[in-house]
Amino acid sequence: MTLVYPPIESWVVTEEVLAGTLEGVRTAGRLGREAGVFWLGRRDRTARISAVVVLRGVGVEELPNCWRVSPEVFGAVTRWAMPRNLCLLGVAHIHLCGVRPALSWTDRNFGVRAPGVLSVVIGNAGDECDYRNWGWYVFEGSDYRVFSQSETVKRLRIDSSSGDERWIADANGVRPLMERQ
Amino acid sequence: MEPTIQGDANVRQAGHPQIAREIVKVTVAYLPAPKPFHHSYEDETTIGTIRTESMAFFGVSDHKDRDTHEFFLEFEGRRLSNLGETLEKLLGPHRREAHFNLVEQVTQGATSE
Repeated sequence: MTLVYPPIESWVVTEEVLAGTLEGVRTAGRLGREAGVFWLGRRDRTARISAVVVLRGVGVEELPNCWRVSPEVFGAVTRWAMPRNLCLLGVAHIHLCGVRPALSWTDRNFGVRAPGVLSVVIGNAGDECDYRNWGWYVFEGSDYRVFSQSETVKRLRIDSSSGDERWIADANGVRPLMERQ
Repeated sequence: MEPTIQGDANVRQAGHPQIAREIVKVTVAYLPAPKPFHHSYEDETTIGTIRTESMAFFGVSDHKDRDTHEFFLEFEGRRLSNLGETLEKLLGPHRREAHFNLVEQVTQGATSE
């Protein structure tokens, strides 16, 4: 598995990625629905998340207590990502107000389960701006494990550099986010 | 029939004429993995075989917990559910490469938070 999923020691997440993530999920959150994004980048020892892909439209269900992405959406994102040498580094989604930003059973088992993939839960329907208050998990062994406080400091680097990209995807394909906004 | 790309794919049986199969270079991509699965298959290989071998490469498996998790190969945006279909049938003759995506279908058995 190591060859297929090279180990990741730390992740670089830019402020742009964090902002793009919040922008991508807030609209649904304010309507009382869960929503989420994919984080893509190159898988290196230090993995930099360089693209936020907002998932919305055909094949994406944004419901009050559930957010689901169909296999067709995964396929569309895969077709787009592979020629760009991007792979899935993380999935971020929101929980609504009053729901703890922690992975539910469904989140753990319905989502992507591959070594080193992050699963991030943003509370307050996407209005929680401080990433330190989000739930940060990494898939290890056979399940997701929550980051400790020290691990969040040690393994996550929040970077102010720019140049990251924002996209929107559904089962029909991936487009620059500006097209839809 | 056109010559095969790789000579070792010819099937030779004593007393019978040599049957040369087309060789198809298969690529399977899986979104969390940085590199795809590559393998050359005879065109009589079934989708089921490719699915099984690429799943083993990516370390994933069908399973059932509260939900049912099944992996599928996707080709040109279409999920392939006929695991007995051969590459030749799927691609038509003389196609020498094919790109698939591995995707997971989760069928929920119950709702939760």
